Amino acid sequence: MNDIGEFTLMVALATSLYGTVAYVMAARGNRIDIYLSADKVPLITWACVMISSIALWKAFFTNDFSLQYVYAYSNIELDYFYKFSSFWGGQKGSLLFWALILTSYMIVVHFQNRSKNLIVVPYAMAVMLAVTCFFLFLLNFSTNPFERIPLPPEDGRGLNPLLQNYWMVIHPPTLYLGYVGFTVPFAFAVAALISKNLDDSWIRLTRKWTVVSWFFLCMGNLFGASWAYVELGWGGYWAWDPVENAAFMPLIVATAYLHSVMIQEKKDMMKVWNMSLILLTFVMTIFGTFITRSGLIQSVHTFDEATLGYYFLGLLFFIIVACTALIISRLPLLKSKNELDSFLSREAGFLFNNLLLLGIAFATFWGTIFPIISEAIRGVKITVGPPFYNQVNVPIGLALLALIGIGPIIAWRRATWSNLKKNFLKPLIVAVVGGAVLFPIVPLSSRSEVYTYITFILCFFVLSSMLIEFYKGTMARQASSDSIVGALGSLIWNNKRRYGGYTVHIGVVMIYAGIAASSSYGIHTEKRLTIGETIEIRDYMLRYEKLAAIQATSVKTRIIAQLAVEKDGKKIWTARPEKEFYKGQNQPVSEVDVRSTLASDLYVILADFSEDESATIKVYHNPMVKWLWTGGWVIALGTMVCAWPDRLEQRRRLERLKRQQIVFSPAQE
Amino acid sequence: MDRKKIKFALGAALIVGAIGYLITTGINSTSTYFFTVSELMDQKVSFHGTGLKVKGNVVEGSIERDPNDYLSVQFAIEEKNSNLNVVYQGVTPDMFQDGGEVVVEGALDDKGVFHANTLLTSCPSKYEAEKEAGGKHPGTLPGYKSKPELDLKKIDSLPKTTV
Repeated sequence: MNDIGEFTLMVALATSLYGTVAYVMAARGNRIDIYLSADKVPLITWACVMISSIALWKAFFTNDFSLQYVYAYSNIELDYFYKFSSFWGGQKGSLLFWALILTSYMIVVHFQNRSKNLIVVPYAMAVMLAVTCFFLFLLNFSTNPFERIPLPPEDGRGLNPLLQNYWMVIHPPTLYLGYVGFTVPFAFAVAALISKNLDDSWIRLTRKWTVVSWFFLCMGNLFGASWAYVELGWGGYWAWDPVENAAFMPLIVATAYLHSVMIQEKKDMMKVWNMSLILLTFVMTIFGTFITRSGLIQSVHTFDEATLGYYFLGLLFFIIVACTALIISRLPLLKSKNELDSFLSREAGFLFNNLLLLGIAFATFWGTIFPIISEAIRGVKITVGPPFYNQVNVPIGLALLALIGIGPIIAWRRATWSNLKKNFLKPLIVAVVGGAVLFPIVPLSSRSEVYTYITFILCFFVLSSMLIEFYKGTMARQASSDSIVGALGSLIWNNKRRYGGYTVHIGVVMIYAGIAASSSYGIHTEKRLTIGETIEIRDYMLRYEKLAAIQATSVKTRIIAQLAVEKDGKKIWTARPEKEFYKGQNQPVSEVDVRSTLASDLYVILADFSEDESATIKVYHNPMVKWLWTGGWVIALGTMVCAWPDRLEQRRRLERLKRQQIVFSPAQE
Repeated sequence: MDRKKIKFALGAALIVGAIGYLITTGINSTSTYFFTVSELMDQKVSFHGTGLKVKGNVVEGSIERDPNDYLSVQFAIEEKNSNLNVVYQGVTPDMFQDGGEVVVEGALDDKGVFHANTLLTSCPSKYEAEKEAGGKHPGTLPGYKSKPELDLKKIDSLPKTTV
């Protein structure tokens, strides 16, 4: 099976190379014969990559330690659950996983579009196949997952205990689904540029792909944060680590793209801008991969394989140069038909939203690569940490939050005074009242607390403006529907994009509130305790009751501390933080215990213990962290509404296709 | 260019300028120097008082805890024959042990002792394991010597419970 896996990887490379060339030839020369032959390539490539992946999975499940990769990331006693996820636990497997997702996306695109547009789609397929080629090239010649060990060892080294968490099964695939998904809109954008079909059809064809990829990227980031929160045991969920930034930057640029394409669809403006944004989004996904794989920037979780970095750097350079040249050569065709009229308009709101988002992305980028730049220019390595990102991104983020509230309720083209008064008065009153109510309650002694207070006021403003939109729409429909719920349902159902988008915004507001509260009101304390002693935090008192050792499996020993948690003299919870020791691993893993409510999290860590049963306990009190995860689910709901198949939209698309076919049909003959 | 375009160009420039200003002031006020121990020792300028990040390996047997205050730790880190004494107050990470690579963040006092306010241990992930093994050829891997097992004595002395 290993030989088959290795062989199919080669076949996949060969067919994808052929496919790239054949699609381009077919499209350039209008050669239907070549097109029919190229048309089989996506399926063959996908099948080959799939077989190869199955071979690697099989090696994991059958404990085939003759494969160096299986040896390095699995062992006999590893749970099947983790054997499955060890597939993407390291460099080689994760590249194969990437190729698997990319080719799977490719065949979906293939079957969705092959009868739709014979000019743009072949080029788009060629671009996707070319990207596939790059990954298959790496898999064949640089990081082959089927590399053998001449004398197979009896047992593997096992998966790092930190990765043995259910998030390991969820988080990386989610992030990859997002990362890889942006290849699709990118491919269509390049195809549109090459074939000079520069109306918004490429945007419409890939809108769902953009929304879904954005969703996965967003969820991937949140899942990563939540994994770090429960597993790494430092009481926080985001550290502005280079690898986190690598996942964060494409998300931010993609968010900008997601908004600015609406302007192109509605107003036929910002064409060059959108092209540049999708290019930048794709470049950011590759750059993110480059950071995690090159070891260039010091981070908590990089892969270690320096040579691979050069390939990614080469690819990045090539994409940037080629696409910039392509956009410049098509500039005359990308002229906007309209222009901005007024600062007080929704168009301008979109423009500023884009600038702010790109500002956040750029600040994050700059902070991430700053050590390299300073070393190259000044010879000293200077690093910037979380204070830098917070200092820069928080003010920009607040301006952005204000825009989330302003954008949807300001008029298109030019807002008049009466429009402003009508739409803004109520949300502003809510914000002012909310701010006044909070003023005596919240502390305002430091800069971060002031920021948090401003965030809350803005949250009131945005939330009320959203809810008023929902309310107004529902009331308008109530006449034709019997119940309010029915009216609300039909409102959302008939305007999925709009109200789905608003729902996503509500989720974003919740995340803002969660971040603001937890980052400035959180406190922590630590103490060495003997049995019976207590540690106090805010209104909670934790009494250390006992320490126990449990031999959980033959490889895992759990040390559990038990603490009774009291509030106002009443026992409300028993905390059981643990430390787990794995045989063969030289480091224990802390398993924290968290009591999570919407108001606050109580987060307990067993930091250390000794033979006399005394233990060091660290306790965090983090307000409103749960709002982040809840906001995530609200975003998921909103995205689902946005991406749900829409009959109206389908009809519109069919009509458009009919029109386009009149335009395109001569070329197909 | 007509007036409208100039107006928007100015507006956009204002935002870009504000972001640029935030970034430059942010870099100036928050950046810290990153050295390895020997690089720090080689510096001609005195760095005491300024924020520093220093990377090195914990000297074998140098970890000392205050018997009265378990959370107060003293240790030394080394790299290429240079040594640096560090004091740290707080919970130490799981992988903080003799010989392990650490990054400390803090400042030097006038006696040359480093006061760390954060203590990070390097990459916990298996991704780097191959490098530690000293060879990248898969054929050499089976001979890979694992690090000494954890001291399980303190676990054995605890009361046993079963699941």
